[in-house]
Amino acid sequence: MKRPARPGIVMDVIRCEHLTKRFGRKVAVDDLTFEVQPARVTGYLGPNGAGKSTTIRAVLGLDTPDAGRALVDGVPYRQAEQPLRRVGALLDAGAVHPGRTARAHLAALAATNHIRRSRIEEVLALTGLADVAQRRIGTYSLGMKQRLGIAAALLGDPPVLIFDEPANGLDPEGIRWIRSLMRSLAGEGRTVLVSSHLMSEMALTVDHLLVIGRGRLLADVPITDFIPAGASLEDAYLNLTESAVEYRTEGTGH
Amino acid sequence: MPTALTGAMACEVIKLRSLRSTWITTLIAVAFGLALSLMDVAHTANAWPHMTTADRAQFDPVGDSLSGFAFAVLAFGVLGVLGISSEYTTGLIRSTLTATPRRTLSYTAKTLVIGGFALLLGELTAFTSFFIGQAVLAKQHLDVGLGTPGVLRAVSCAGLYLFVVTVVGYGLGAVIRHTAGAIAALFALVYLGYGAAKAVEGWSALPSKLMLSNAADTLGQLHPHPLHPERTPSLSFALFDLALYLALALTCGAWRFTRDAA
Ligand SMILES: Nc1ncnc2c1ncn2[C@@H]1O[C@H](COP(=O)(O)OP(=O)(O)OP(=O)(O)O)[C@@H](O)[C@H]1O
Ligand SMILES: [Mg+2]
Repeated sequence: MKRPARPGIVMDVIRCEHLTKRFGRKVAVDDLTFEVQPARVTGYLGPNGAGKSTTIRAVLGLDTPDAGRALVDGVPYRQAEQPLRRVGALLDAGAVHPGRTARAHLAALAATNHIRRSRIEEVLALTGLADVAQRRIGTYSLGMKQRLGIAAALLGDPPVLIFDEPANGLDPEGIRWIRSLMRSLAGEGRTVLVSSHLMSEMALTVDHLLVIGRGRLLADVPITDFIPAGASLEDAYLNLTESAVEYRTEGTGH
Repeated sequence: MPTALTGAMACEVIKLRSLRSTWITTLIAVAFGLALSLMDVAHTANAWPHMTTADRAQFDPVGDSLSGFAFAVLAFGVLGVLGISSEYTTGLIRSTLTATPRRTLSYTAKTLVIGGFALLLGELTAFTSFFIGQAVLAKQHLDVGLGTPGVLRAVSCAGLYLFVVTVVGYGLGAVIRHTAGAIAALFALVYLGYGAAKAVEGWSALPSKLMLSNAADTLGQLHPHPLHPERTPSLSFALFDLALYLALALTCGAWRFTRDAA
């Protein structure tokens, strides 16, 4: 899928410029500026409520920013011609109608971007759903729904992929599979952005880290620079975000 | 010709036909409407020899053959509500808008598919009900043909009314984004509104003339000979009513659809 490069625009880059999003008086994303580069897996980390999902929704044009902008290939997502062929996203496993079969769900999405029908069977096989594709999604387990969301993200064979907590509900085999999937997608030169709370998983998967807390950018570094010698990703992460945690549980402090 | 609009419309067609609720609601709408209409004309045909002149004067060969749709219309409205509210209640809207991020495009596609389906279904059931009714009435030689002045207008307008109520449900679903809430609002608008408008008739008959059900009475009968002429809109006023509801539903729906979905 080679596209002519437009002058001055880096292809396959997700770019947020002073992105700000408020919900009432709550500032969910606060003046965020960063770029996500191709050919590597970028981990998007931050405590609960830090603004990761909100950023991703803004990139996908689902939330309108109050200030700043989010761009893919230099244009807002809402202006994309065939967006599924540019960006594939797993937001949450719930963006489906439980009454529909997985095959019908994917067929509906594929139709919008004129994606060939055989691609549906490919992503169903790839995500291990081929045998249950004719079942209503309402009968699926959480992990199966998660796989369907990943299948939908891969549908357009896009050069840019965004996964919001992809390991949610996946079994150990599934977690290993999504890890190697993300590694191979980045290996093919694609841009991969993944949010997760599983530090040991992230340590095995990502090349680069974006860390946010309370909507603000705390770190934008290669993972090798982020972890001090002898420490784990979890240690480094908890150190950095200590002051930015909003929903702290009691009695588990160290 | 594959364009963004045809792609988005193909998506809506797949979504519509791949849900069991579409088929069930459609079946209920059609079967209920046809059955009630048939019972009405069958009763008239049987009772005709013993009917008083006053009762016979109330008989309308077209309106009676479509009378079941005064109730079945709600199922059409529900079809419209579900077509859009279920996207919000299930969360599917996030997938839909990710695939077709241009809001005007996705709204246009959805409106054309659901509206087109409702128009086709509405006209098809109206004409079917009419022909079944006439076949029953023929026993007493009470039937009329499509060529009789006013008949084509009455039958096609009855189908149009079903279409408009579907679109009103669709607009309410888009604005309220919640299935039960939108159905309640639809019910209030179509049925309770009638009583409310009647209650204020002492001050003004205009609300009654603006009621969808009163407009449907005028449009769907051969000889509008209303019991209460003061609350019944004229033919052209009734057509204006339909156009008004259609425009309001689609405009409010479009306005809301272009706002962020939670
Ligand atoms: N639709 C909404 N209405 C109001 N507030 C919202 C809405 N969506 C998000 N928020 C708020 O914005 C903040 C950021 O939420 P967001 O979902 O982006 O966090 P997150 O980093 O994805 O967290 P998590 O790790 O728990 O998924 C939170 O305080 C949340 O309550
Ligand atoms: Mg989140």
